[in-house]
Amino acid sequence: MAVLIALAVVAAIAGYAAARVLLERNTMCRLPFLNVVSFAVTGALMLLLPHPLTIVACAAYFVGSTLESNAIASTWAGGIRKHE
Amino acid sequence: MLAEGLRILIAACVCWLNFVTIDVFFGLPKEGGVSGATAIAQEIERKGGAIHGGYMMGNIVSSPDASAGTLLASCGVYAAGIPGGLFAAVLVYIGNRICYDPGYAGTTGTITATFIVYAFTQAGFLASDFIAGMIIAILTIQGISHVHASRLLATLWRWRS
Repeated sequence: MAVLIALAVVAAIAGYAAARVLLERNTMCRLPFLNVVSFAVTGALMLLLPHPLTIVACAAYFVGSTLESNAIASTWAGGIRKHE
Repeated sequence: MLAEGLRILIAACVCWLNFVTIDVFFGLPKEGGVSGATAIAQEIERKGGAIHGGYMMGNIVSSPDASAGTLLASCGVYAAGIPGGLFAAVLVYIGNRICYDPGYAGTTGTITATFIVYAFTQAGFLASDFIAGMIIAILTIQGISHVHASRLLATLWRWRS
């Protein structure tokens, strides 16, 4: 029962953040909302599939989505910045 | 035994304090780790936010930091107890390196969160409360108002430095 409430909270936040992603016009400002969606999907994955191996799936999904956001933001910003 | 909703709200506060403290301690608001994080910070500043808060938000988007660590530690403890949380720390460490992040905020946050979540499970909380709580915590930073969240984080950064 408690897990159902947690799952409802996670699903509601995922839906809200997804709506904000669609409504936001600026690509850079979309990424933090997309980040919330990634968090919520990772949490939902674990709540729906409680198994030790799901940790690997959660980490793989989360790191993958973060790397995509990183790539989109960095490409939009003009590619690799050279550190001195 | 507290009601589920109240437990989730308390868990959200605990998660928020854990990840914000560790991220600020590790200096995430100092500068953007990659050019994308800097670009997100500049965009938030252009809208009226604070640049240092924007850097931290950009860094959270660009690499698994302590917030991701707290979530994955909660997931780990939910599935397999303390070993699950520590396994999540290894995965976050690998994730940091994949995302060109040289720091240890994510790994440290995962380890501290593992023990915090485990301690709370001994006090009648469920690890699932912390999964939902962490998602509420990240919503308050990244998902409601970028301008206000960045100003709050910049204030915390000023206190630290």
